[in-house]
Amino acid sequence: MDFNWNDEQLAFRATVHNFIKDNLPENWEHIAHGPASKEQTVFAKEFCGALAEAGLLVPHWPVEWGGQDADPWKAFILAEEMWMAGEPRGGQYMNVNWIGPTLMLFGSPAQQQQYIPPMARGETLWCQGFSEPESGSDLASLRTRAERKGDKYIINGQKIWTSYAGDADTCFCLARTSQGKGGISIFLIPMTTPGITVREIPSIIGEGDIHEVFFDDVEVAETARLGEEGQAWDIVGKALSLERVGIPRFALATTTLHRAVSLLKDQNRFTAGVIEQAAKAKAACEAARLYSYQIIDQRVKNIPTGAEASVGRYATVICERLVSEFVVEHVPEAISGENPMLLAHHQRGIVAGIASGAAEIQLNLIATQYLELPREPR
Amino acid sequence: MDFTLNEDQLAVAGEIDKLAAQFKSSPVDFHGFALYSAELDKQLEDNQFFDIAAMPEMGPLAAALAVERLAQLPYTAEVALSMLLRPALNIELPRPIAVIENGRPGRFVGVAKTLIIIDGDSVGIAHPQAGDTQAIPESLFAYPMAKLVGKLDVQLLSESEADIVRTWLRVACAAEMAGLLKAAIDATVEHISVRKQFGRPLGTLQALRHRMAECAVLAGGVRWLALKAAWSADAGDAALAALHAQESASRVIYDVHQMSGAMGMTLEMDLHLWTYRMKALMSELGGRSGQAEAAGKYCF
Ligand SMILES: Cc1cc2nc3c(=O)[nH]c(=O)nc-3n(C[C@H](O)[C@H](O)[C@H](O)COP(=O)(O)OP(=O)(O)OC[C@H]3O[C@@H](n4cnc5c(N)ncnc54)[C@H](O)[C@@H]3O)c2cc1C
Repeated sequence: MDFNWNDEQLAFRATVHNFIKDNLPENWEHIAHGPASKEQTVFAKEFCGALAEAGLLVPHWPVEWGGQDADPWKAFILAEEMWMAGEPRGGQYMNVNWIGPTLMLFGSPAQQQQYIPPMARGETLWCQGFSEPESGSDLASLRTRAERKGDKYIINGQKIWTSYAGDADTCFCLARTSQGKGGISIFLIPMTTPGITVREIPSIIGEGDIHEVFFDDVEVAETARLGEEGQAWDIVGKALSLERVGIPRFALATTTLHRAVSLLKDQNRFTAGVIEQAAKAKAACEAARLYSYQIIDQRVKNIPTGAEASVGRYATVICERLVSEFVVEHVPEAISGENPMLLAHHQRGIVAGIASGAAEIQLNLIATQYLELPREPR
Repeated sequence: MDFTLNEDQLAVAGEIDKLAAQFKSSPVDFHGFALYSAELDKQLEDNQFFDIAAMPEMGPLAAALAVERLAQLPYTAEVALSMLLRPALNIELPRPIAVIENGRPGRFVGVAKTLIIIDGDSVGIAHPQAGDTQAIPESLFAYPMAKLVGKLDVQLLSESEADIVRTWLRVACAAEMAGLLKAAIDATVEHISVRKQFGRPLGTLQALRHRMAECAVLAGGVRWLALKAAWSADAGDAALAALHAQESASRVIYDVHQMSGAMGMTLEMDLHLWTYRMKALMSELGGRSGQAEAAGKYCF
């Protein structure tokens, strides 16, 4: 056990850091105000293209798909630096983290050829069509139907909370082909397909993030199905295990905390009670960081990650909460638009316990799998 | 970054586990507050475990792992300061080592050969003689507690030495707390897995499962912060680790006692051994506000 970065990792971090510094425009913090604002999405395409050219978009992908076979540490260092900078890759981080790798594992050769190279070039945006109005945490209850008609499927139903749907090119969509958990299939659906309607949902978390997506008699070819019928649960399990740690939220939370503290110091407001709250938040950020690193270490060593992933996720929720509350209490002007970076963090931070698997679901998993407590009756 | 133990660390962990196995159950007839074992101390001494940190292939990280492991035992001995603080100072300090903070009673003060005397910002060292200390067997804290009654010759440390002392006291506190937290959580998990009310184990109730899971997340975080601080020897890391330790303890102690019901109030259940050691550690170096002040200075 040791907590050192090696020289190669340090050099890689510096390369990414410098790339970001050199490629973000001066008004970046204003552009980054909404995780999926129009401006941000447009900029992300340009930025991801440049990243790809510099070999920094998909370094952890296999060489045959435009990567360099870099280990998970590099992928995570990259993610940390990006997230700290306000995620200039926009929604493309999903391609890089799990959609591309999932297609490599389960896609047909035609699907791989069609979809992977544009991802590796940073040209394309996807959205994730999982949640539905009646199916949030209980995702397996989803009702969007895909009915087979010859060599086609007709899809009807509704998705909700779909990030980036307004500008996405393709949807990684779950739909039911028969009853039960084993009756869900995955479809890769171009968002321009007739019958798809997208509506943005106004929210407190920034412009352009969440949407409703309606599917009305949307016709897709059989070849749009990823994997076999009914294989969605296995594939999604595998896909999400590719990013078990999730987003390195602690990295932006830490940066935010330091920014807030430096503002307070400038105003001579970094005094005893405030210091105590800042220190507690910082400790929580560091705990989340170390948990996340532990999980990356397991991945590098091919040690199966069990409920530690949920433990790490929950530690992250704690740190996000402490940091955003710190800002609300001590730099409230940020929430009124006087500091775009602190506001952007706030809007990202408040969803930490909800997006991609609610905190309470993580706690259920920790209780059962990590503490091995007896299960709740169903 | 490497989060698994290397061969040397595994070897030490294995040896410590072997030694610890003899002390893993409290005696059935024990009904006291503090469960001290001179035999545990002797075996650690005989096997040179107090020198782990000074061994080049081991270092303070291995020592912190040992402290965390040993803190999970129902028995206690003065382990943490000997393993972590002593090797960090360039002064020969006979062990056991104890701290007297602002004149208050301290753990292991009665058996200590070295006392760290903290008075406000000043830190000194003294070596008590027989009659200088007085045991407090009625203390609820599950360590052997004693107070200073004699007048000691205190050798004041320089400011930089005092900083080193405070840093390693914090690392020691966090590493020990990590073990105590784990032991208290394990005992409570076992209790609520077995204890049935309303026809089912308490551990099936989500209101308790979630709290327990949160406790586990906090405890694991304390462990990582303690190990990182032992590895880096950084004053800021140490302050964060001790702060997270004391903060988490305040939450976990309450929850584990709640979930253990009246049984947790008895001397029959070992829970108090860990929770009252945690309570003792909670006040060290000014408690949470003391650690926060240090973190404010070193981390921001
Ligand atoms: C910013 C943002 C972006 C998102 N992006 C996407 C996206 O791109 N694609 C997509 O498919 N989805 C997306 N989501 C949806 C997200 O996956 C869901 O919000 C999440 O799964 C929780 O579902 P829900 O919101 O319906 O909450 P619910 O499931 O209704 O849960 C509400 C509360 O009840 C609790 N709860 C639920 N079940 C249990 C239980 N068994 N035990 C204890 N407590 C329980 C939850 O923990 C939560 O606290 C996004 C959400 C947000 C906030």
